[in-house]
Amino acid sequence: MAFVCSVPTLCRTILSSLLLLFAAGIFVPSAPAADTLTIYSGRSERLIKPVLDAFTAKTGIQIELLSSGTTELVNRLKAEGDRTSADLFITNDAGSLELARGAGLLHPLNMREIERAIPAQFRAPDNAWVGLSGRFWIVVYNNTMVKPDQIKSLLDLADPKWKDKIAIPNSGSEYLQAGVSVIRSTYGDEKTRQFLQGLKTNADNQVYQKSSQIVDAVAKGQVALGIVNHYYVYRHLAAQPGAPIAVVMPDQQEGGMGAIMNVAGVGVIKSTKRLDSAKLLVEFLVAQAGQKLFADLDKEYPLHQDVKADPALVERKSFRAALVPLSKLAELREPTITLIEQVGLR
Amino acid sequence: MNTSRHQLVSPLQLVALATAGIILLPLGYVTAQALSADPAVWSRLWATRIPELLFNTVSLAGSVSVITLVLGVSTAWLVTRVEFPARRLWEGALVLPLAMPTYVLAYVYSYLLGFGGPVEHLWQLVAGPQARIFSPHSYWGATLVMALDTFPFVYLLSRSALLSMNVSFEEVARASGVSRLSTLWRVTLPLMRPSIAAGVALVILYVVSDFGAVSLLRYQTLTYAVFQQMTGRSDNTAASILSLLLVALALIFLITERWFRQRSRFYQTTGRYRAPQRRQYGWLGTAAVTGYLGLIIGTAFALPTLLLIQWSLSPEAQATLDSRFFGFVWNSGILAACAATGGVLIGLPLAYLASRRPTVLNLSCLQAAYAGYVLPGPVAALAVLVLFTKLAPVFYGSVLILIVAYVIHFLPAGLQSLEPALQHMSPNLEEVARTLGLGMRDTWRRVTLPLIRNGFVVAWVLIFLQTMKELPATLLLRPVGFDTLAIRVWMEASEEYYQLAAPSALLIVFLSLPALALLVSKDWRAA
Repeated sequence: MAFVCSVPTLCRTILSSLLLLFAAGIFVPSAPAADTLTIYSGRSERLIKPVLDAFTAKTGIQIELLSSGTTELVNRLKAEGDRTSADLFITNDAGSLELARGAGLLHPLNMREIERAIPAQFRAPDNAWVGLSGRFWIVVYNNTMVKPDQIKSLLDLADPKWKDKIAIPNSGSEYLQAGVSVIRSTYGDEKTRQFLQGLKTNADNQVYQKSSQIVDAVAKGQVALGIVNHYYVYRHLAAQPGAPIAVVMPDQQEGGMGAIMNVAGVGVIKSTKRLDSAKLLVEFLVAQAGQKLFADLDKEYPLHQDVKADPALVERKSFRAALVPLSKLAELREPTITLIEQVGLR
Repeated sequence: MNTSRHQLVSPLQLVALATAGIILLPLGYVTAQALSADPAVWSRLWATRIPELLFNTVSLAGSVSVITLVLGVSTAWLVTRVEFPARRLWEGALVLPLAMPTYVLAYVYSYLLGFGGPVEHLWQLVAGPQARIFSPHSYWGATLVMALDTFPFVYLLSRSALLSMNVSFEEVARASGVSRLSTLWRVTLPLMRPSIAAGVALVILYVVSDFGAVSLLRYQTLTYAVFQQMTGRSDNTAASILSLLLVALALIFLITERWFRQRSRFYQTTGRYRAPQRRQYGWLGTAAVTGYLGLIIGTAFALPTLLLIQWSLSPEAQATLDSRFFGFVWNSGILAACAATGGVLIGLPLAYLASRRPTVLNLSCLQAAYAGYVLPGPVAALAVLVLFTKLAPVFYGSVLILIVAYVIHFLPAGLQSLEPALQHMSPNLEEVARTLGLGMRDTWRRVTLPLIRNGFVVAWVLIFLQTMKELPATLLLRPVGFDTLAIRVWMEASEEYYQLAAPSALLIVFLSLPALALLVSKDWRAA
């Protein structure tokens, strides 16, 4: 205190301004007003905000959104524990949701609305997380550079003839990790390693942080092929209908593994103090209206049986999905990351 | 009097010690975590990532330092040794690139040089429709952006060396019949060597710790890898190991810079000082000089700024200028103000003690505060994160943790101006005030504070601006609802929504300009 008294003017002004800030409560995680939900979102803001805005318009409940990396947010939720200000967690990857559930971060939900709307294979057994929309790993190609019959399977992409012609997502992205997990559990570690090594050589420095950039690079002809989730292609086509890009749904050949599927989903945070509002949001997202928004805005496959996907998309019934259950993605994650690092993907 | 002095000092000492502790503790934690990591993790990283990352980081630093050396020294020589129209204007304009955060320049260039971008179109007019230019998302792209952004460091140091150099040496050489070029090579440049080396070391320190440009240009360096590890993995072990390497690398360059800076103080202008003679060039020479300087400033500042203005005026960008945008401005402002206030408050006792009672303890506390120089943004974030989860998890996800990271990171910038301000003020002044009967409080209020006010203000402004531009720590630690301008630029730019990123980027550049004036007049090293 002697220090404080000995430099009075300076410290008094500054301390009082600091105290003001304290009073404003910005130094401790603030508890937002009762009619505001805080969402940690691993989905890019562009893809989720319109849906949440529709919810706010309908119910008057405001949304506070923190958009960041999925794994980063799981780390953050773990570290924050019960003190977190988050009420819900929305992300792109069932594996991450399952990991969050395993860490006890999510609140089981017993809601008829969920069970009626979303088939059981797309949610956790206790509904601690619920899938909202389906997405598939596809190969996007520039149709001035590649013929569709040149690619049958994802594994074809490791062929040396595609050297410097292919763009891939960076190894930190959860969807790449989930995809590699599916390939591993289908073909085993050794074959997967060979595939990744070929992919690494072929892509060289065409490793992208964002899927939209991959589609962009293919459309511009910078590369011939790319691996992305399907909806980035259709979003690009919706914005630029003339773009010379098309989609191969891979691994549909006789005995092939089927397309790699993942879901975007939502979970309610265990420590939430706004459980009722949070449930309202989940209900909104799984209901027909909410599912239609995902289908129309984001070009994903709605999981609600009665909601149709965008007609521009490949008809869902026309192709097979790989047989690895979504909830297994969590346990497959760690060894997959190790394999990816051993291969040295960026 | 003794008792009151004692009263003043010991709490101050405690504050200083606590500060040094707060700064060193996170670094210690990260080091401990890295060293106690499973050897398997170390060997896996050695086998897969470390050689590539070290090579990329060091080779980027190498090429950037060569280019900044050429650009910085040549421009400094031109403005100090040649007379041409609007020379003073050019002299000032050459520091403008410092107002441009690296991530802004990187995103502008990933558009300009990008596949199918304007530069490639121009090139195709010349070289045929199939011609390609080098991709900005590469070693050369990162080199170009970093060099354009950092050459003013070398420029400023070389310029002051050239201005303070005793011209007699050069005159003697010329009088003895040595040619102009040979004088430059054999006399002028060797005399400038320490300043140039200090400038280049500073550039390297900057390159090694940059996150914004390398992440947007997808060039893998250690700093970028630390960020990727932190966001992509569920444990921080690998991130700590890479951080430790990064800190060691940065430390080497920091020590180099200091060593050369010490040496550059040794030669004084003994005897009479005269301003160097400026040669008048003919119209051809003038045109060449103006063209050269125009090209540099055009590519490093003018063109990017014009592009940002054009994008900001586009309808897409205008549509984002809603209340949400002003929320981001407010967030940037409030965070930067808190960090600046915190930094100055913490820096003052450290600098005060080190200059008034330069004991070993006090001086080491001050040196500890300079640790921020070797803690690149992601590492500072990691360190603070590890510390808080261990010691005070209640603050995780709050503004406090972010501000602590800022203060640790930017305290050196503040100390750079607080320290000289206190050193230049003789303690006699305070003592006189005391003997004339002024109390402790009044002495501070009426003597010390008014005298150090300028240094204080400069320190505050510097930390404020650094914080406003800061990217990686903010990305990793921001609480809910605390997106800043820098975050918006990065989020939009990383998905190549150039127009949408422009208003935030432009605002950051404009807000940095007044501070640049301060920097150039006072303490530009901290930029």
